[in-house]
Amino acid sequence: MAPFRTAFNGYAVKFSPFEEGRVAVATAQNFGIIGNGRQYVLQMTPNGLVEVAEFDTKDGIYDCAWSEENENILVSSCGDGSVKVWDVAAPPGANPIRSMQEHTREVYCVNWNVVRRNTFLTGSWDDTIKLWDLNSPASLATFKEHTYCVYAATWNPAHADVFMSASGDCSVKIWDLRQARPTLSMAAHAFEILSADWCKYNDCVIATASVDKSIKLWDVRAPDRELTSLLGHTYAVRRVQFSPHSENILASCSYDMTVRLWNAAAPEDALLRVWDHHTEFVVGLDWSSLAEGTLASCGWDEMAHVWNQNSDPRAQ
Amino acid sequence: MQSSGFPARAAGRQQVLLNHLRPTEGGMEPGMGRGLFQKNNCSAGDSAAYERRGAASDDIVVVSALRTPITKGKRGGLKDTLPDDMMEAVFRATIQRTGVNPADIGDIVMGSVLGDSSQRAIQVRIAGLLAGIPDNVPVHTVNRQCSSGLQAIASVAASIQAGYYDIGVAGGVESMSTNPMAWDGGVNPKIADNQEAQDCLLPMGMTSENVAERYGITRQQQDEMAARSHKRAGDARASGRFKDEIVPVKTVWKSKEGEEKEIVVSEDDGIRVGVTAQALSGLKPVFKKGGTTTAGNSSQISDGASAVLLMKRSEALKRGLPILGIFRSFAAVGVDPAVMGIGPAVAIPAAVEKAGLSVDDIDVFELNEAFASQATYCVEKLGLDPERVNPNGGAIALGHPLGCTGARATATLLHEMRKRGKAARFGVVSMCIGSGMGAAAVFERGGEIDAFRNAAPTQAQGFLSHDARV
Repeated sequence: MAPFRTAFNGYAVKFSPFEEGRVAVATAQNFGIIGNGRQYVLQMTPNGLVEVAEFDTKDGIYDCAWSEENENILVSSCGDGSVKVWDVAAPPGANPIRSMQEHTREVYCVNWNVVRRNTFLTGSWDDTIKLWDLNSPASLATFKEHTYCVYAATWNPAHADVFMSASGDCSVKIWDLRQARPTLSMAAHAFEILSADWCKYNDCVIATASVDKSIKLWDVRAPDRELTSLLGHTYAVRRVQFSPHSENILASCSYDMTVRLWNAAAPEDALLRVWDHHTEFVVGLDWSSLAEGTLASCGWDEMAHVWNQNSDPRAQ
Repeated sequence: MQSSGFPARAAGRQQVLLNHLRPTEGGMEPGMGRGLFQKNNCSAGDSAAYERRGAASDDIVVVSALRTPITKGKRGGLKDTLPDDMMEAVFRATIQRTGVNPADIGDIVMGSVLGDSSQRAIQVRIAGLLAGIPDNVPVHTVNRQCSSGLQAIASVAASIQAGYYDIGVAGGVESMSTNPMAWDGGVNPKIADNQEAQDCLLPMGMTSENVAERYGITRQQQDEMAARSHKRAGDARASGRFKDEIVPVKTVWKSKEGEEKEIVVSEDDGIRVGVTAQALSGLKPVFKKGGTTTAGNSSQISDGASAVLLMKRSEALKRGLPILGIFRSFAAVGVDPAVMGIGPAVAIPAAVEKAGLSVDDIDVFELNEAFASQATYCVEKLGLDPERVNPNGGAIALGHPLGCTGARATATLLHEMRKRGKAARFGVVSMCIGSGMGAAAVFERGGEIDAFRNAAPTQAQGFLSHDARV
């Protein structure tokens, strides 16, 4: 699949849960340090990735998420603390259809609940996580327990009330919406934790990715010791994501400019593949839940790629 | 929201992102205070072998190296301590500090020289059981005289490499207070016709005199080395440089009057602070009239035990244990028994060559000072920089508990290299061996292109109940 060149530096890429081959790419100007943001919606065609829509923001966009309820709704999290909601089907003048300004610092992640499909989470550098419902004028809840930037907040794939957050305070916390405080806090790494994801086939297994270059798998019922460590990245691991189609397969991307595929069930030979198609930090990564083995990545080299795990991303 | 304008916010963002690229290497394993580091110039040579390489998962690595204090024979803190109790202390500390399940240990190999062989093997067994190591873990002893402790490490490394087991403890023990040097029964009359066989029976001090005479090592050189050994060991002890490797031993000590006292021995007690070559030059030669070897420039008679935990790198990574050093090579060689002290001068080049290195590549040497004569000879013969040899003193100051010494020196070497960080990549442990041999081993640390550091942080014990933890 021919890659797509974005105008700004890529920060996140997400496959639509409704339309196979549709991806949203969140970008920020000047590496997200200063400048504007642009949210792309791309479509896979025989000629490669083609732009369907683009939405501009005043500040950089760090993450995006598709609604699990409505195929046209997309949410972007922005550097100025705002959360913007786009309707891909609406006329350009109508967008954004909502903009929620509650976070006081950069909103670094957004994640839609796949069980209770009207809610989503945002995590911010103001150390808080907020729960949102598009039918509600303001956020439904704020979770403040971390002591440094929240880099990831992810819903459990099986339980509508359970989510996890990963933070630069080196902890991962597991939350239940019905409780104000986390049900578990794990000092998962000795360095900042940039990403965390749930196994889609075992609701107790999580993966965490850290500045210490490692990815660790944990069973939240036995948080004292990791199940396994996946070692190989040579710089901080920016995102880790379990495959939606296989219990033990994970993909990760890193500041070492590679995307890697892992089999967590083979501790000695865990590393299945290394892709070096990006020429700068790889920041965005996603698995397609509709087409098995399809991955998307984007990075600071202003390129967005979609490819099959058995092929080379650069192959046309 | 910060409305003070973009530049401040941009700087903040830049800082957050830069933190993601913070180096995590360079000895920032948890539990290793950054304050420990000192600046050291990298003195290693520039040979072709000095290239960084990938971390091989089947490297045999040391994850723990500990020792008791080394104390003076018949007078020091451990003089009334049974060898089993010294070993128990180091075994227990090894298990506690690494968190390794003792049932996973495949074998315990201890070097021991003077103690009755069969009795000592049983004492090792007893020590293991007392330390909480279950009865499924076997033990044995090895005796290659003064290199027994190093031989034990080499044997365990080889056994792990051969696949006999995954994790092994190697170490050594000696109680020279209770086990004097002795000879049982008569001497084989056949040695009358064989000079070399005869020389095997020379007192060690005589071999030292032979080295001094044959290679022209002066009394002054020897006394200077001895004074330097005491100076360096004294400085190291005063600055707490031995703290990481020493396991304090709680024991009973009998005074001259027979009064028993419970004490905790936590420091080496053979070091004489402030001793000078001038002062040492007044001592009388012990072994030969007009000789140069004195009590002051020979190693001390001592008690002590040490233990090293070895495993494959893959095993260490799996268990989240820090890698103190990689066991790279080992060589034992024979030399003329009349000048047994020259052993290291032959063994070091042999071991270094097996590791694909040259002597110039070695940053730190733990060269056993059996006698200042032979140690001086070896340094001169190999052209070693004295600054790289025994930076924390040697057996003249610390003592030489024969069976323990090899593993003791390994502990001292690896902890010294750890403190130097990147400035020390290769280290050598070597010693001469009675009856004319030498042994040497090369250890490497931190040469990996991309060292995996997955040592888990030790959980701070807050002494709260489990429920109280957030």
